[in-house]
Amino acid sequence: MIRTEHLCKSYSHSSQYEIRAIYDINVTIPKNSFVVFNGPSGSGKTTLLNIMGTLDRPTAGKVFLYGEEITPFSDIALARLRREKIGFIFQDFHLIPRLTSWENVAYPLVPRGIGYKERFERARLLLEKMGLGDRLDHTSEELSGGQQQRVAIARALINNPEIIIADEPTSNIDEETSVQIRELLDELKVRGVTILVATHDAMFEKVADVVFKMKNGRIE
Amino acid sequence: MNRHLNLLFLATENLLRHKAKTVVVCLCLIAILSPFITAIAISEGVREQSLISVNAGADLYLTYDEFGRNSAIPLKYLDEIKKIFGVTKAIPRIIGRGFLQNKLAVIVGIDKEDLPVSVSCISGRIFDNANEVVVGHELAKHFRLNLGDQFSMRCQQRKVFTVVGFFSSDSSIWGASMIFMSFRDAGELFGKQDVATDIQIYTLPGHNSEIATDVYDIFQHEAYRLQDKQMVELYVKKGFMLKEGIFSALYVVSFALGVPAILVASGFGLSERKREIGIMKATGWQTLEVLELISMEQLLISFLGATIAIVLSILWVKGFNGTFIAQFFIAEITMLPKFTLPARFLPLPCLLSFFFAFLLTMVGSVYSSWRASTTSPVVLMK
Repeated sequence: MIRTEHLCKSYSHSSQYEIRAIYDINVTIPKNSFVVFNGPSGSGKTTLLNIMGTLDRPTAGKVFLYGEEITPFSDIALARLRREKIGFIFQDFHLIPRLTSWENVAYPLVPRGIGYKERFERARLLLEKMGLGDRLDHTSEELSGGQQQRVAIARALINNPEIIIADEPTSNIDEETSVQIRELLDELKVRGVTILVATHDAMFEKVADVVFKMKNGRIE
Repeated sequence: MNRHLNLLFLATENLLRHKAKTVVVCLCLIAILSPFITAIAISEGVREQSLISVNAGADLYLTYDEFGRNSAIPLKYLDEIKKIFGVTKAIPRIIGRGFLQNKLAVIVGIDKEDLPVSVSCISGRIFDNANEVVVGHELAKHFRLNLGDQFSMRCQQRKVFTVVGFFSSDSSIWGASMIFMSFRDAGELFGKQDVATDIQIYTLPGHNSEIATDVYDIFQHEAYRLQDKQMVELYVKKGFMLKEGIFSALYVVSFALGVPAILVASGFGLSERKREIGIMKATGWQTLEVLELISMEQLLISFLGATIAIVLSILWVKGFNGTFIAQFFIAEITMLPKFTLPARFLPLPCLLSFFFAFLLTMVGSVYSSWRASTTSPVVLMK
């Protein structure tokens, strides 16, 4: 489903120094698999997920999605891919402050022309599933870290994506919520969603189909 | 269509969510647009009233010409002018200026039977006898004059006058500081007998050029000046453009301060906005959709700002009678005009205000938003 060939990403901090975040990454991720990228901080997990999730572009190498190379896609085409096929869960939740839980969840539906009632209904159903039925009108400032992450997961699921990319989804939350999130992701996998997780959390390895160990921008 | 409606509603909600920014940008727009709209309205009002006065006036104005300027004309030719074919009336009048204590007054001397029909809005009566005057309401208010009161005035001669009537505040702006008296009284006051500042000539339609030829025959050895309505109208328009220039100079200063203020205010919460755009892009928003949302926000805020500016301008003119600003358009009035200020709110300046407001807010936001929406979401969300 997702394949990378000789994927590299480097950042130039000046004309003299170049930092290689990932180097020569070749991975193949089958459809409906639970894949975990494990490794220490700075090993390139997030960079790799960002590139595979079309949030960032590689310096060199290719990314294939369903056999089609997406590296040369325009920003518009990549945005369409994200809207239709990919849902993101971030370490820092990245909820929009001042928006309520349901508004955050329904935000990706706004440019799709879906009306207010349907947006609310779809967001409500997802939030109830996340155990946040009583927090629909709470802003992110009024929610705990675990609750915010569950809102972020609901937002990632609102467009019924085929791929979920989660970057350290449990690092900023308590153990109980971590367990819930692991179970939720596993449940999504059962429903046919491909899950890509970058994490330090060793517990994810128990539910993963494949674990890639990363170090210094390479897969070991 | 639904997508655009969604974005419009979201733009409205965003403005309500960022109240401080919305209020600051609106205030900046109001500060820039309100004086502009008010000034245009007053200028148009005064211009209209001037042109009405010109149109209601004589067809030709005859004066002497000295040093390229109008000067007093002797009345010795008056009877000859009246006899020219096509002339229906030839009315001499004196228009001068003099101080009534510390207030400058416009003195108009004209015979009662020659008063134009447009002279109305008078309480009391028109002068009948020598030394009787009708006084403008601003002067009357200033000196607390009542009917029957007497006052003395000195120009070349000192004379004592009795107030027999007042122009009401609804009369034209020219009536505010005017003293209306007989032609003879005005001549005595200025110490000039048998001359007029001009002779108003009313003519039959289509006879002006023939009359001009006859006037030339009468005045062939004199330096005279004959002006028709179109020329007078042109002078009036030029005069207003000159006065508007003073206002424009001041306006440019406030504009120069207001625009940077808008730009700064538009940049409020820019980092938060960038992060928000990053999240939008990460969740599948297209660059054009982000820009459409931001443009709608600017459209709404400029609509709001311009609407409030127009309402405040109307209030400024109708409620506060153009306090402070009117002096830039009407000569010799104070900061607080004591007569009803003429004003016309035309659709074009109002539409221009909306456009201008939109342009300003777009300049303040669209570039930074475009930059943000074309940057990688990863960078924006950092």
